[in-house]
Amino acid sequence: MTASTPAKRFRDLGSKAVPYLLIAPVVIYYFFFWFRPVLVTLIKSFQTAAGAFTLQNYHMVLTDPDFLVALRNTAIIVLFSVTLEFLGALFLALLINRKFTGSTFFLFVAMIPMALPGVAVAAMWLTGLTAHGWINSLLYYLGILAEGAKIYWLAGSEWKLLGLIILIDAWQVIPSMMIILLAGLQNIPEETIEAGYVFGGNFITVLRKITMPLLGPTIQTAVILRLISAIQIWLIIVLLVGFSRMPVLVERIVYYYKEVPNLDISLQMASGYAIVVSFIVSMVALLYLKVSGAFGGKKEAAQ
Amino acid sequence: MATLTMQNVTKIFGRDVIAVKDFNLEVKEKEFLVLLGPSGCGKTTAMRMVAGLEEVTTGEIFIDDREVTELPPRKRNVSMIFQNYAVWPHMTVYDNIAFALKLKKLHKDEIDRRVKETAGMAKIEMLLERYPSQLSGGQQQRVAVARAIAVNPDIFLMDEPLSNLDAKLRVSMRTELKAIHDKAGSTTVFVTHDQSEAMSMADRIVIMKDGEVIQVGSPDDVYHRSGSIFVADFIGTPPTNFMDVKIQKESNGTHLVNTHLNLLLEPEMAKHLNGYDKNHIVLGIRPENIVLVGESDAALSASCLVSEPQGSHQVVAIQLDDNIVKVVAPPNPIIAPGTDVHLIFKQETLRFFDPDTTLAIND
Amino acid sequence: MNKNPIKLGKLVRRTIFYLFIVTLAVSIILPVFFLVSLSFLSTRESYSFPLPLLPSLKTEYSLTHSDRGYLLSVYDKFDKEYQTVLDTAELEKMSVYMKNQIGTPYSIPKIEERIAELENGGKDTIFFSVRKNLLLNYTTFFQITRDAVPALLRSLQIAGLTILISLSIGSMAGYAFARYVFAGRDVLKFSVLFVRMFPGVAIALHMAIILANMGFYDKPIGLALVYSVGSIALTVWITASVFMGIPESLEEAAQVFGATKWQTFLRVTFPLALPGLAAAAMYTFLGAWTETVSAILLTQFNPTFSVVVYQSLLGAVGNVNLTAAGGLVLAIPSLIFTFFIRKYIQQMWGGMTI
Repeated sequence: MTASTPAKRFRDLGSKAVPYLLIAPVVIYYFFFWFRPVLVTLIKSFQTAAGAFTLQNYHMVLTDPDFLVALRNTAIIVLFSVTLEFLGALFLALLINRKFTGSTFFLFVAMIPMALPGVAVAAMWLTGLTAHGWINSLLYYLGILAEGAKIYWLAGSEWKLLGLIILIDAWQVIPSMMIILLAGLQNIPEETIEAGYVFGGNFITVLRKITMPLLGPTIQTAVILRLISAIQIWLIIVLLVGFSRMPVLVERIVYYYKEVPNLDISLQMASGYAIVVSFIVSMVALLYLKVSGAFGGKKEAAQ
Repeated sequence: MATLTMQNVTKIFGRDVIAVKDFNLEVKEKEFLVLLGPSGCGKTTAMRMVAGLEEVTTGEIFIDDREVTELPPRKRNVSMIFQNYAVWPHMTVYDNIAFALKLKKLHKDEIDRRVKETAGMAKIEMLLERYPSQLSGGQQQRVAVARAIAVNPDIFLMDEPLSNLDAKLRVSMRTELKAIHDKAGSTTVFVTHDQSEAMSMADRIVIMKDGEVIQVGSPDDVYHRSGSIFVADFIGTPPTNFMDVKIQKESNGTHLVNTHLNLLLEPEMAKHLNGYDKNHIVLGIRPENIVLVGESDAALSASCLVSEPQGSHQVVAIQLDDNIVKVVAPPNPIIAPGTDVHLIFKQETLRFFDPDTTLAIND
Repeated sequence: MNKNPIKLGKLVRRTIFYLFIVTLAVSIILPVFFLVSLSFLSTRESYSFPLPLLPSLKTEYSLTHSDRGYLLSVYDKFDKEYQTVLDTAELEKMSVYMKNQIGTPYSIPKIEERIAELENGGKDTIFFSVRKNLLLNYTTFFQITRDAVPALLRSLQIAGLTILISLSIGSMAGYAFARYVFAGRDVLKFSVLFVRMFPGVAIALHMAIILANMGFYDKPIGLALVYSVGSIALTVWITASVFMGIPESLEEAAQVFGATKWQTFLRVTFPLALPGLAAAAMYTFLGAWTETVSAILLTQFNPTFSVVVYQSLLGAVGNVNLTAAGGLVLAIPSLIFTFFIRKYIQQMWGGMTI
């Protein structure tokens, strides 16, 4: 029998190894440039400068007066912006869900905000929101603003700023989220929806009982990926109002590491905040992997 | 041209999925052999092992006397037509056909000559500069054929090559493929699940089920002398009618009896049951071998369930208990549902099957 | 006649639909439009209120005598009158003002010509117009912003290196995911996804030390290594779907028709994958080009272009027109690449459900 000649066994082994050889570079790369820094960051967070075990670092971050403010601000931004963006995008997607003349161009336009670098977006809104910026000018041209009157967008309470940040984020995110949902809607076979109407459903029932459940996976993906990036919003805030005026989690990292790098506690604070952010994001990411069925079980059972 | 031999070939996927089991086959020179079976029966896997696209778990494959079991595809000198054509979309028709010839480092003029010759055979000489995306499905199919002929292979493999074509084109391509085969005289293995395709093209048909060979024979053999209930049922549309009957030996001969039927076997046919010791058989009869007769001559009478006119004939369905028996009858007069019909069987065409083994008893 | 109401209803619905689409498109484009418009405004224009909607293409001047020398006035379209901007006898001052504030470069000899006209023509006031140099803000941005040109080159270099690293490493894995079934496949696939979602900012701090040990801190290769962590994951996913899109039978056909595995890859798989690989490269470019946080944390004396624009925004809110120009330079490559790969982005976003 040829089955068990050494040559064949060797070849079998060889062909089994091929996928692993192809994957190996990624695994090695991740080990050195992702896993190692993550691990070291984690270990260091439990150590004093001398290397002894301590919870002092966490204590310091958690008792930082700005910590709760940053956490609260981040939570508010995430909660409101993701809700607003999802509902807005869903509404638009349902409204637009059809091919129309110029749809290709429209879809490209909708992609622009997401494609713009954060710094460019900040430049755009900063030049708009200053007292003599383009927003006030536009309002003047539209006759909404009287001559000599100006709205001081960036002055005033924290809540107003939070609102602005959420609106700017919505401007940037809603169009692209709409595209995701549109793509999801267009993947639903038309017959499925039509069958819903044929068998007596009205717009609302079809939406609730057929469209939304089928769109479910797309929505999950879109919302959770959005959550992950919303947690990390900071650049637009810093560029609009500067550091420390409206602290958020990632802003604290950059603040301690780059703005006040020479304090005794700078590095510890920065890494402490970094761990908090990674912890929160990791939880959301794991949630995503869970709902997408990454942990097996569901998929295998279905087959 | 060459012969193909497969000896005790078995293919196991993963740990325990047996796709092909102890497969033995000898394909003669210039033969057009069809591997036929329902989907998942292992016919494609068997062919892919010949091509070298699937490793053989145990067993050997020979082309002529050359063992190819362990050789990579390119060293086997076979060519293949794929189900989805697998025409390379980034090459022109010309480059598609010339691909293998270029790899063989043939002289440019020779390549040119052979590309044009085979393109002529496949009737695509005017499409040589086009890209596959500019071709219809049928034309892509022809490119795949030309590409396969051009290499002058020992063995021609065709993996359901017609299944992606529309019904009308499929029938006309059958004729053409067969003509090309006759002209090129190549040894061909053709895989299909379409029994009418197999019947119309094959010199010999290998019927497979669950990874095993069920029957090998000419189209005539497998149709008229089906070796098992599976084959009798799988080949032919409408398929063979089956009835459970009891054998009763009486003074005037052997009778086959059930609630609807009492059939006195002619001595010629009764002989087949000699040596069979159970008292039940499954009786098989093809729809065209049941004849409508007057009431007095009938072996069986029942009422018509439905009749399907087919132009040249009509298919009459009759319900007998849970069984539906189909009869091919002349087109006129159309038999209305509910009408009583009276039937006799052409005795010499009856097939007897052992209900336990499902194998034929006749032979 | 009775067909009309139906048609009319349809027409009204269509009109409303398009009005809605146009409104939406306008509200997306409006801020971008103003950024573009701002980047072409002269400094004087950018300090006026309301800001002009469109930059002027030329400026109308008037020149007349004054006690101290000459009065230079500029026609203000908004107030519809000439407004005196300069009262001086120094021609150089006049020339510099015309260039820097109004964006209309005008040489001293030319000013002398105008003065001669005024002196000899016997007129009380002379009028002339000068074309504006629209690109002046852009050249000025690169002149006055320390490091802008080297930072731009550095950013391109980083993006290039990131593409090189992540495409070579990622596409191999992508091929494996697309073509092979192997133990641990799912775990690996989702680890890759997890790494992609993990915040880069969290490892940036320790990466500084690792890069310093390697001698890569504050160098383009250092940032490229950091960016590759995220973009490898992306490349794996994109290339896996690219390779999955190439029917295996095309590769099998090549092998049957005489090609070795390597020849099959070179002649069939690679050419067919090329457009997809290019899209992956562009996507990687987008990520590296726009990234800011890690770039801020991991550079010191050699910032990327996005950091330079960030710093100019953080520091000087005054020169909005220059900032707008810088921001736009940063945005343009992103927009171009997005345009090229818009189909892929739509597919990927749409097909992100796994």
